[in-house]
Amino acid sequence: MDALETKPQICNIPETKIQPVEIEILPVVYDIIRSVEKDPIDNTAKQKESAECSHKVTELQKTLDAARSTIRKLHGIEYSKEEQLRRLESLRKQLALKQQLIKKYKNVQF
Amino acid sequence: MSSYHLSTRERLLAIINDIEIVAKELIENTIAPKAQKMSSTDHAQLVELLVLKDKELKATLQLAAEQAGIEKNMDALREQVRKQDEEINQLQRQLKEAEQILATSIFQARQKLASIAKANKRPVSSEELIKFAHRISASHAICAPLTWQQGDLRRPYPTDIEMRLGFLGKSDLNINGHNLQHPNSLNEMHRNASTVGAGGAGGDIPASAPNQFAWHPSGELHMSMGAGAGSVSLDTRAHKDASQDDVEVMSTESSSSSSSDSQ
Repeated sequence: MDALETKPQICNIPETKIQPVEIEILPVVYDIIRSVEKDPIDNTAKQKESAECSHKVTELQKTLDAARSTIRKLHGIEYSKEEQLRRLESLRKQLALKQQLIKKYKNVQF
Repeated sequence: MSSYHLSTRERLLAIINDIEIVAKELIENTIAPKAQKMSSTDHAQLVELLVLKDKELKATLQLAAEQAGIEKNMDALREQVRKQDEEINQLQRQLKEAEQILATSIFQARQKLASIAKANKRPVSSEELIKFAHRISASHAICAPLTWQQGDLRRPYPTDIEMRLGFLGKSDLNINGHNLQHPNSLNEMHRNASTVGAGGAGGDIPASAPNQFAWHPSGELHMSMGAGAGSVSLDTRAHKDASQDDVEVMSTESSSSSSSDSQ
């Protein structure tokens, strides 16, 4: 019976470090505010600056949308970390129980 | 407002929305005319809020990366659990098969034990069995003789000729004053019968037979009334194929008598 009670070996899964996704929004906002604050006197420069500004605002919008779509594609973030760790623990227990069951069936002496 | 009960994905999307709102506020404040601009304190607070939200975004993205790593581990665990499930199912199937085979074997073994006990109650010597088997098969009742051909008069049942040669046929039952004549051998009788059979068309009553009783082809037993007087059919049985039934009764009786003898 002692053999059955010992903790079954769960094969070690190597810890894989995943790099976090880089989302930079502040530089784009800073660029927009700077280009608005420039306010050149020259009309042509003003128009040019205005066009650049609107282009940067569009870029900000695109950056935000891209960030949202990247976040939606990420795996493993369906639950909070605590919930995920609870699920991980229950999976480990389930695996251990099943391995014990198989060992018990194989060791039964008829 | 605590957002810890939310999933990480929902938290990230909420932070992005907040950053968008604050950034819009700041840009609108920058392009607004002087009269509508907010105070510098408010502006500073907005900027601080934006920076805070950005830091929160980065921290949450770091958390998301950790969770992605945990999810990979969980996927590997799920794969192992799936393999264990398959193994358990296979073991279960094998156990069920083994149980079925064992149950069938035990049932058959019990039946065999019962038949052994039954046989041991009334033992029969093998010599006696062989003797009776020999007797039954000697009369060619089980299998035709190897030399048997179509047209051979031999039958697996006793024919009328053989019956006449038997005890009943040789008894001194003397009807109509006819004396019984005893033919020398069965072969002589067969030869006589075959010649008559060949001569007569349609299988008439064999006149060469000295006995008054004869079998009609229709299956009825005919008794000859005298020379040239014809014959009268005896109603031995009312059935159409009476000869066949007689055979069956004969064969059954012989087997039952032999089996009763063996007891």
